[in-house]
Amino acid sequence: MQQHLYLSLMPEALIASMLAPEEFGSYYSVGSEHKTQGQAAFIEIDPAFRHPFFPLDEAFARCVPHKDGAPKRSVYVSVYRVLEHVPLAALGRLWLVTKDGRGLALSRAAVPPADEAGLHLYHELAPVRPLVVSPKGPRAFFDLLMGGAGPSLSFPAIAFVELKLGELATDPERGAAGDLPYENLEHLRSCLASLKTKDVGAKVIDRLHPGTFSYRMLKDGVYVGNKAEGLARYALPSPEALRDEHYAWWRSANM
Amino acid sequence: MNYDPWLFIGIGAGLASIAASLVYYRWVFRQDPGGEKAQAIALWIKEGASTYLRKLYKTLLVVAVVLGTVIAFVFSGDAAGPMRGVYTAIAFAFGALCSAFAGWLGMSIAVRANVRTATACVDGVAKGFNVAFKAGAVMGLAMVGVAVFGMSLIYLLTRDTEILLGFSFGASSLALLAKAGGGIYTKTADIAADLVGKVEIGIPEDDPRNPAVIADNVGDNVGDVAGMGADIFDSYVAAAVAAMLLGASFFAAGKVGVQYVVLPLILCILGIASALIGLQFVKVGRNGKPGGALNFGTVFSCVVFALLATAFFAVANGLSAAAGAAPAYNWGILIATVSGLAIGVIMGFTTDYFTNDEHKPVRRTAEVSKSGTGLTIITGFSYGLVSIAPAVVGIVAATLTSYFVAQAFGIPGIYGVGIAAVGMLSLTGIVVSNDAYGPIVDNAKGIAEMSGMPHEVVDTADVLDSAGNTAKAITKGFSISAAALTVLAMFAAYTEVISKYSGGANLVLDLQNPLVLGGILLGCLVPPLFSALTMLAVTRNAFTMIEEIRRQFKAKPGILAGTELPDYKACVGIASDGALRSLVLPAILAVVLPLAVGFILGPAALGGFLGGSIFTGVVFALLMSNAGGLWDNAKKYIEAGNCGGPGSEAHKAAVVGDTVGDPFKDTAGPSLNTLITVMSLVASLFAPLIAQFHLF
Repeated sequence: MQQHLYLSLMPEALIASMLAPEEFGSYYSVGSEHKTQGQAAFIEIDPAFRHPFFPLDEAFARCVPHKDGAPKRSVYVSVYRVLEHVPLAALGRLWLVTKDGRGLALSRAAVPPADEAGLHLYHELAPVRPLVVSPKGPRAFFDLLMGGAGPSLSFPAIAFVELKLGELATDPERGAAGDLPYENLEHLRSCLASLKTKDVGAKVIDRLHPGTFSYRMLKDGVYVGNKAEGLARYALPSPEALRDEHYAWWRSANM
Repeated sequence: MNYDPWLFIGIGAGLASIAASLVYYRWVFRQDPGGEKAQAIALWIKEGASTYLRKLYKTLLVVAVVLGTVIAFVFSGDAAGPMRGVYTAIAFAFGALCSAFAGWLGMSIAVRANVRTATACVDGVAKGFNVAFKAGAVMGLAMVGVAVFGMSLIYLLTRDTEILLGFSFGASSLALLAKAGGGIYTKTADIAADLVGKVEIGIPEDDPRNPAVIADNVGDNVGDVAGMGADIFDSYVAAAVAAMLLGASFFAAGKVGVQYVVLPLILCILGIASALIGLQFVKVGRNGKPGGALNFGTVFSCVVFALLATAFFAVANGLSAAAGAAPAYNWGILIATVSGLAIGVIMGFTTDYFTNDEHKPVRRTAEVSKSGTGLTIITGFSYGLVSIAPAVVGIVAATLTSYFVAQAFGIPGIYGVGIAAVGMLSLTGIVVSNDAYGPIVDNAKGIAEMSGMPHEVVDTADVLDSAGNTAKAITKGFSISAAALTVLAMFAAYTEVISKYSGGANLVLDLQNPLVLGGILLGCLVPPLFSALTMLAVTRNAFTMIEEIRRQFKAKPGILAGTELPDYKACVGIASDGALRSLVLPAILAVVLPLAVGFILGPAALGGFLGGSIFTGVVFALLMSNAGGLWDNAKKYIEAGNCGGPGSEAHKAAVVGDTVGDPFKDTAGPSLNTLITVMSLVASLFAPLIAQFHLF
């Protein structure tokens, strides 16, 4: 049986497994005892990848079939400071898995060169999970978190998603909330409005936001980057393409 | 004048309606049943429905034998002769059999039409609608056909309207079992499927990985096809029988001519004709709206019926005038008929106001859901309470109009009320067709999803399904108001029978009489008690099914991965057995309580008991049906992308509201119609004995 290596973003972890990505996604979100574990996001890592920070050879040595021949589902290699030690070159496809175990594979795409005007809402996935609003687009926001704004704020690496704001992106006070599922919408509006009057790069809305988010609110994909190599983007297909080509995932993601 | 030909015409019209339903049946059966996977899913649903119906009819057989024996024995000492009891028992069994046949036929085509509708949706809305609606028409036409055939035949053979009560009681007994049992079944499966599938596991609606998904689809059929159909069937028969009984009573008293005994049957025959005509005009254009087509069919049939009734009165009176006789039929009765008809339609659309997401009640409930479950429940419940007002005012308006118009034209007012109920129920053919359409398209959407048909097909089925939900809400409003008018007429019939067997003394319901007051309070108690019993049955059975679903997910790891099939039959079995077991106590209450009150506290107390049960029964039925429909649509409104959309806090609150509303609108609420009809029939049927034998 083939061995695989996965970088989980929610929560941050490096996991060796004998399950293929789709099976791993189903297992990781649903759980071996078939108790709900919740949605998952992970990235395929080249199994040949090695780094002194991770005891990968030991992990792979333990990643062998069970006595009954069943594949080993997971061997946790590390649950701490994983993202900063994995180069972008080692990253394969990113999987977004729904609560009921449906997986969608996203491929790397170019980061949009220009940032879209208006306000933005970001959910950081790793290493920490705050919910943040910012006047900056994804690329500028990434630069800010990498320490571009000064020594007070700096991450070695980060994974985040941009979530849709609808009309609130341009009119936080009066814009229609429509189908925005966020809790405490008034707080979100006031945080967004404050960005118009204060000269700040970002404002935290929720310091310890839950590790899950509604996939239907993803604006254009998942961003992963580090100081040394810059930013990579995993592009989400358009809603129409998701519905046409990934109907089962799309239905579960819209629950 | 000899009115016998109308009885033969009634038998012929009934058979013609059944024949037309069989023609539709054959047409639907010939449609493309779709691919292998879709057919396999449809087969599971069909087997589940058949299993339930078999068990239900076995239960009914036991009930029919017991009650039939009691009726035959008790009425054998009747002054009309020793065979009276046997005839009444035969009529009772025949009524139950007719209702069972119509229900079986409707179910039989519904579980075949679902997959054919899904397949037809490949070619667009119009074709899918055509298949589903024609399948619904099988049930509608069979129901009115069987009812008119049965009533005409029994009256032709016996000339005794009190024996017809036995027929009506048979139909109602089955209806009570079918409606309450179907309601418990459908919500057991629905709630269990949602709570584990959607909430715990996060799998979408109609997902084949859910072990309860087939039971859920079976439930749509047994609850909304067989159950709702039997409910309206029993109101239809009870309304006609009550009016005939009143006509016979007033004819015996010399207050009206003999033609008024048969007039309710004649109106039913005209109703069949208007349904047959109306059905031909229910069509959807290539890009048309199915909801509009359904509503058009109802209103068009209504107009056709009014025209036919007017033409009948004009021709009958014209023939009388030509023969130099007085007018055969009083024009006041036509006004009463049309007023009942109009109120029926208005009531249906009033219900729509409270349950349609285009109006304030649903939108407001969705809006406040953003602040949590508490406000969702309070707001939906409050609008449910408000919805009672227009409906009750409508029932009062129909009652008073028909009563005073009949009086003004020289006919006993209460006969006018009975005829208004018949006028309202003359729409039964088309209303039941619309109602049965709902679960067929609901199933079709599920089959399209589960069999992996292209999402365009699912979208088409969804358009049909939305129209079905609205039709369902309108049908509930219609059936509650029809039942209310029917039991008012039945109540009058009860007082007439008591008066007849008490030496002509009028039954006086004096509120200062403690027996009457006690009867009223006891009557008020029954609908809430019945509601509680049926809803507790749902929660009990749902809890058992939830455990089974969890067990399957744990024991079979491949279910969620989609590599292993769930054991659908286990959930179907839990729903079937649980529903039938839970029926026993509520069914006994419905039959035994009025008898106990009548034989112990006397006829006046039983009159109060019926009054009390009618009042709270109507109020509870309207509240629960409308509040439940409102919560359901508030959730759907949020899922359509409003107030935060799926996954939002508002959505979570709305899901709770919908779960609370499910047994409200599909179990307890609609079953109350049948409960009050059954209790009124029990009282009327046993009135001759109660008049003579009672403790107080």
